[in-house]
Amino acid sequence: MDILGAWIAVFLTLAIFSFLYKDNPFYKIAEHLFVGISAGYWMSFNFWTQIQPNLFGRLWPSEHYSDSSLWYGIYDMLGFVARPIFPAGGIDMGHDLHMIYLFPMVLGIMMLLSIYKPLNWMARWGIAYTVGMAAGLRAYGILNSNVLGQVKNTIIPVIGTDLPFFSLTGDSYFNNLIILVGTVTGLLYFYFSREQTGNFGKVTKVGIYFLMISFGASFGFAVMGRISLLIGRLLDLIKYSGSEFHHASIWVLVAMIVLLGYSAYQERESSS
Amino acid sequence: MMNYLIEMILKLAKVDRRWIFLIIGLVVLIPLMYPLSLPVRAGKDSQQVYDFVESLEPNSKILLSVEYGPSTKPEIHPMVTSLLRHLFGLKRGHKVYVTCLWADGQFMAEEALDEVAVNEYGLTYGEDFVLLGFRPGAEAVVKGIVSDIRKVFTIDAKGTKLAEIPMMEGVNRFEDFDFLFSGSAGYPGTTEWVLFASDPTGVPMSTGTTSIIVNEMMPYVLGGQIQGILAGMPGAAEYEKLIGVKGIGTSGMDAQSAAHFVIVIFIFLGNLGYFIERKRSKKHQGY
Repeated sequence: MDILGAWIAVFLTLAIFSFLYKDNPFYKIAEHLFVGISAGYWMSFNFWTQIQPNLFGRLWPSEHYSDSSLWYGIYDMLGFVARPIFPAGGIDMGHDLHMIYLFPMVLGIMMLLSIYKPLNWMARWGIAYTVGMAAGLRAYGILNSNVLGQVKNTIIPVIGTDLPFFSLTGDSYFNNLIILVGTVTGLLYFYFSREQTGNFGKVTKVGIYFLMISFGASFGFAVMGRISLLIGRLLDLIKYSGSEFHHASIWVLVAMIVLLGYSAYQERESSS
Repeated sequence: MMNYLIEMILKLAKVDRRWIFLIIGLVVLIPLMYPLSLPVRAGKDSQQVYDFVESLEPNSKILLSVEYGPSTKPEIHPMVTSLLRHLFGLKRGHKVYVTCLWADGQFMAEEALDEVAVNEYGLTYGEDFVLLGFRPGAEAVVKGIVSDIRKVFTIDAKGTKLAEIPMMEGVNRFEDFDFLFSGSAGYPGTTEWVLFASDPTGVPMSTGTTSIIVNEMMPYVLGGQIQGILAGMPGAAEYEKLIGVKGIGTSGMDAQSAAHFVIVIFIFLGNLGYFIERKRSKKHQGY
């Protein structure tokens, strides 16, 4: 099974890499498989790790199960339809009974109604709740950590302490001055109520240089990140080229090059 | 000679990009097969993470949040395994609690714990480490852990009730932990832990992130909101160097360095070609 998995992994990796040469059937196969399997896998994973234990598990916990209860009567009926989802005697996931979870369940169903045109307006309620909840939840955190916290971190000494004048890595007057100038000029660049000309324009230009340096650093890190991903795939390809996997990487690579080369040759022949 | 050189540069500046892909691929592949063993020196930010872990009191409770998947595994996984090696290798009775804000983080966490806690140190599940698993909801989960962890997790990743796990005794909210390490590849991740957990409660945290989000995290590190950062693959390699156990981070750095060197050459040649071309076209236009 490990060997089969290795061959599939090698084929899919090389199929995706083959797009760097040009769009081709190998890439298309890998792309479609990825989209289809991802959708199916995540749906199943989220249902069995979240919806079943955490939603149904809170609505029908085994701790409160009773034959005579109307609520659990509905559960038993559902159990006749899908026993693996609604096991006999309630769901035992350590939850207490929380009827409030009917509210998110209804909102979730309303969101799914977006595919049914006569009732698709209902989806807006679920979306509105999600957006409103997320905005409210993030407001305090962002204000506290990203605004107040960062403003506080920018208030740093530029004179009058025992800091060294210059240090390449640690705190120094020079580094603090750069933070001060960079922050002020960077913020001024985004002040649009006045035309950026004259002395004001010169100051905002300094802000642009700071922003460009920041973008350059981001680009550098992005390149590093992408190379790291390539390293990850290549390490697997090296591993799977070993004899214990019957040299999967080498065989698949050779087969793919031959087939793509033959296809290119055929194309050239037909066009000439 | 000079003209020949200029023509060569112009040719190189217009080379089919597929050749560049091939060269980058080979430049990354060769050092992985035949390591160059380039020296790795720990930077200030990695050293800060290491020092903070060293300074933890015996029997500390450490929350490890796993927020990455297979695609970002080469960068973050070596950090997580190195951190686990460091924590367990100290033999100070530290307890490690693992949560996942990413669904596929659960598989990454299982792999790291099996490799280090079980195979290398022979530790006991539920007494030395526990995998609480994944819960959806991003910042809502973080806020839930801050206020009452037992409302978010009633069972662990194996389905065991929290009340039946010995090391969960006395752990009810985020403030019961002594340290948080977030191995993060994006949203939800380190930012959410800073915003909703570490800053409001004052529980110290460190992070290990993918290279691509390092720039976003640096203001938190410089401002003291995060105690050091392991920045991408170099961060992983530096931490491996600090704990003295070489891994994927270290071997990957040879390939990283070689690839960066070639990319810089390409950028230089591309720009040189652009300026020569521009000068020529200005000359033709009679400027």
